[in-house]
Amino acid sequence: MLNYQYYPITHPDKGAGGKTGNWRLVKPVVDLSRCIGCKACFLFCPESTIIIRQDGKVDVDYEYCKGCGICANQCPVKAINMVQEVN
Amino acid sequence: MQMKVMSGNEAVATAVKLARVGVISLYPITPQTTIIEKLSEMRARGEIDAEIVRVESEHSAMAAAYGAAISGVRAFTATASQGLLYMHEMVWWVSGSRVPLVMVVATRAVGAPWNIWNEHTDFISERESGWIMGFAMNPQEALDMTLQAFRISEDERVFLPVMVGMDGFILSHTKTPVKVPSQDNVDAFLPPRNQPYIIDPENPIGMGNMFQPIEYMKLRESINSAIINSEQVIKEIEREYENVNLEGDYSILNPTYKVEDSEYVIVLMGAWSGDAMEAIDSLRARGKRVGMLRIRYLRPWSEREINEALRGRKGVLVLERATSFGRKSGPLYLEVKSSLDLNKTGSVSSVIAGLGGVSVSKRDIELILEKFIYDVETGKEVENYWYYPEKVKPIEPRIPRSIE
Repeated sequence: MLNYQYYPITHPDKGAGGKTGNWRLVKPVVDLSRCIGCKACFLFCPESTIIIRQDGKVDVDYEYCKGCGICANQCPVKAINMVQEVN
Repeated sequence: MQMKVMSGNEAVATAVKLARVGVISLYPITPQTTIIEKLSEMRARGEIDAEIVRVESEHSAMAAAYGAAISGVRAFTATASQGLLYMHEMVWWVSGSRVPLVMVVATRAVGAPWNIWNEHTDFISERESGWIMGFAMNPQEALDMTLQAFRISEDERVFLPVMVGMDGFILSHTKTPVKVPSQDNVDAFLPPRNQPYIIDPENPIGMGNMFQPIEYMKLRESINSAIINSEQVIKEIEREYENVNLEGDYSILNPTYKVEDSEYVIVLMGAWSGDAMEAIDSLRARGKRVGMLRIRYLRPWSEREINEALRGRKGVLVLERATSFGRKSGPLYLEVKSSLDLNKTGSVSSVIAGLGGVSVSKRDIELILEKFIYDVETGKEVENYWYYPEKVKPIEPRIPRSIE
């Protein structure tokens, strides 16, 4: 590539913008006994921090979860609870 | 190669067809409308298989062309005047995104008040937007430059959009003989599309993001370097274009006429260069050594060529159809004067004429030049002024003889 050429694009990568998990005031906790693996939370999470487990149920990537609560709101079986962060 | 009688707009539509453009976004505005009408007719007859997108505004026309271009096909749109100003935001967005595409502007006055006739202010007002900007002199050049534009735009040393201007009505609607190159020659000249990045779900990229100030500034410098380097690229491409149109004169960016032994040079852009050439011939017949420099590329601005043509002249007259309100001259004069070594050049003067379709003839250009030469030779201070042609004599209405 020519050394003066510069293109305004970015290559998306996990955490390219830095870690965002420390913004969180409340965190989503998945109750695996109630989770039915419908993946609504996975679809709605704006930060792609829902991890799909081997068994089809879900976990949360706390490194990047900002604690917005959309997953808890979308969950049809109320398997995700927003819990106060303890520092 | 085939000779056809066609208007500037038909010539541009033919070039778009020959360039195998993939997506054309359409929004009508006089005097550009017949370009997109011709393209729609070609599509209806099955001569082109381009996707034609009818949009709801010029802003969307540029946005649609941009979207198509980043998906990896050649994209084209055309506009003028209010339409160009309405898409102004997207014009910057496309160049900032470094997306190759081509737009033709059939120049027209800018309202208010409404005026559909020719003036270059709309085109020139986009000169800071980071596009490569060329301006045609006749329908032949409109065709040639539109074809070259795709090649320039898609060159890795440039990767910027290209705007091709032509005078509204004077070129867009006036029919002249045009040499239409063969599809084979154009295919050999225009390689498959090349661009810096494309939308590809397998290889995702982020576009239109927030950029850190320093990165933003680096991008601006990159656009600037690309435009400066495009001068060399355009020259190479123009030389290669001689395989497509043997008779075209594309040896330099800004052609000259009888400039070698000239004491006075007129600098202008667009269709009235033809009238100026005739005015020069008739002045030379009366012993005045006058030549012409025609600005074909406003961006890149070839300081070297302009200096070469104007250095050491007794007088340089910039004639333009555009305004730069608040200055006692037009924008082209500001550009020309900033490129000259004023210690080595005599008087430089700006004349604004032909705004909003005011008709300027060969005789008018002769008068302007005669006055300028007289002022310089008698030691008067040259002035920058707005030229109004003498009033046209009223025509007496009468019944045509055939039905008398």
